[in-house]
Amino acid sequence: MQIVFNIFITFGCYSLIGYSLFILYSILRFFHLAHAISLTSGAYITYFIAIQQGLGLWLAVPISVVTGILLMIVVNQWIYKPLQSRKVESWQMLIASLGLYVVLQNVVSMLWGDSTLSFRTWGVKVGYEFMGAYITGVQVITIISCVGLSVLSRVFLEKTNIGQQIKAVSSNPELSGIFGISKSKAVVWSFVLGTGLVVCAGILIAADTDMTPTMGFNWLLYAVVAMIIGGMGRMSYLLLGSLLLATAQHLSAYYLDSKWMNAIAYIILIAFLYFRPYGFSGKRIKKAEI
Amino acid sequence: MDYLLHLAILICIYTILSQSLSLVAGYSGQISLAHAGFYGIGAYTTALLSVNFETPVLLNLFAALVLSGLAAFVVAKVAVKTIDDYYIIITLGIQVVIYSIMNNWQNVTHGPLGIPGIPSFTVFGFAFENKLSFLLLSALFAGLVWFILYRLSSSPFGRVLRALSEDEVYAKSLGKNVQNAKISSFVISGMLASIAGVLYAHYISYIDPTSFTVDESIFILSIVIIGGMRNLKGIFFAAAFLVLLPEALRFVGMPSSIAANMRQIFYGLALIIVVFRMGKPNSKKISFFKRKIS
Repeated sequence: MQIVFNIFITFGCYSLIGYSLFILYSILRFFHLAHAISLTSGAYITYFIAIQQGLGLWLAVPISVVTGILLMIVVNQWIYKPLQSRKVESWQMLIASLGLYVVLQNVVSMLWGDSTLSFRTWGVKVGYEFMGAYITGVQVITIISCVGLSVLSRVFLEKTNIGQQIKAVSSNPELSGIFGISKSKAVVWSFVLGTGLVVCAGILIAADTDMTPTMGFNWLLYAVVAMIIGGMGRMSYLLLGSLLLATAQHLSAYYLDSKWMNAIAYIILIAFLYFRPYGFSGKRIKKAEI
Repeated sequence: MDYLLHLAILICIYTILSQSLSLVAGYSGQISLAHAGFYGIGAYTTALLSVNFETPVLLNLFAALVLSGLAAFVVAKVAVKTIDDYYIIITLGIQVVIYSIMNNWQNVTHGPLGIPGIPSFTVFGFAFENKLSFLLLSALFAGLVWFILYRLSSSPFGRVLRALSEDEVYAKSLGKNVQNAKISSFVISGMLASIAGVLYAHYISYIDPTSFTVDESIFILSIVIIGGMRNLKGIFFAAAFLVLLPEALRFVGMPSSIAANMRQIFYGLALIIVVFRMGKPNSKKISFFKRKIS
């Protein structure tokens, strides 16, 4: 039973990060690897405000969400937009965002040091017993907010005008330009949505398992793996992908050893790309098999 | 003086690594992030053989070439199915898998403890023990790799690679076997990278998995990108520059704790700037250094 809970918590984190990355991927058309730094910086800014300034967690969370969003909008306006206006290909954009990640990650480790930090002011409790498994308060909050945020962002995309514009631009940029939908506005809004989600995920992860400057990259790569094995299709395929990934990782940690979790994720990815290059959804994308 | 020789040896090793990556990344247009993995396979093969079985170094070198060639063949078979950013992600995944095998297969590789006490490079009874002789040896290998890559890139095979990196479908329509060319270039590049691993293992005489991480792969890739994807001379200068950069920062009086971060910040920025220059419309120049348009 414990393992089912662990799978659910990991699944919640993967699907939240994966969904935020998916929103950005579908509109930007490249893997925004600097997304990892929004996750890390969210956790670190929360630490800065809640612990170093002593202002309390309730103030820290909104401020770090807003700061993360502002940072990424600046990055978009000053780095991504000039690059994309030069017709840079998607792998080159990936390299640029990798470079950006390296820069920002080192800024974070220069500011706060490389050691593990924690904004946990509450003591570690045994947690609640529920159907034979132990679950801590933070994990309950994680599950609830993962579900809540996913549903909210889904509603935002489906029901509001801006959400519709984001979807229009991601499915066909030229046509939506003809209909008078501003692409740059939609990109900025998708940055607001995606970064906001991933900052929340970062804070939740840091509350559960503490933080290091390099934590974002691992989580982001898992989300990318979940996204690829889900197959770039719809939200439900992404959920299926993250569920498969989380299950495989926790089962391997249970039966083999937790140190192989990393390798298992990528072995699944490699197997999927080899046997089913289009993931679960089977949607044809011009990325595999020419 | 010893320190300068040490830096020169490192420059030779990184030149071998990044020039061999340029065959894959520059000529055949596949940006691989698994290169430190092959570097590691070379280093671990020679270390394990010479520590456990005391085999001669030349045999180890041969074994490392064969083993990393085989590994590269398997990797290429899998990775050739994807292109562009998927290719980067899948090779990144392979790199992580190789790293975690090195780190976790503790019966063989001793995990994070590494393998100490690797004997020095000995050929026919002559041991390359002092730094000057080792520098000559690694310069010899670097020159050999440079020569091989230079000949390869101007051969018909090199032209096939260049054609497929420009337009894969078009190269295929001319009857070129695109898949084979991609796979064989990847295998050659992996084998050449393992030479650097052998040199490194015998030079430092101690290896552990932290020398072969994803960060190392990113570092090698950024040498290639900064030097110019197909510019062997530029890559050599970029390798020298990026190896010497932290020393220069230390010389300026920056504390070493910040210098490591500053170096990474610098090459991150360099990646962004180079990509910015790559994207310039109607421009043939893709490097900081002058390039012959061939």
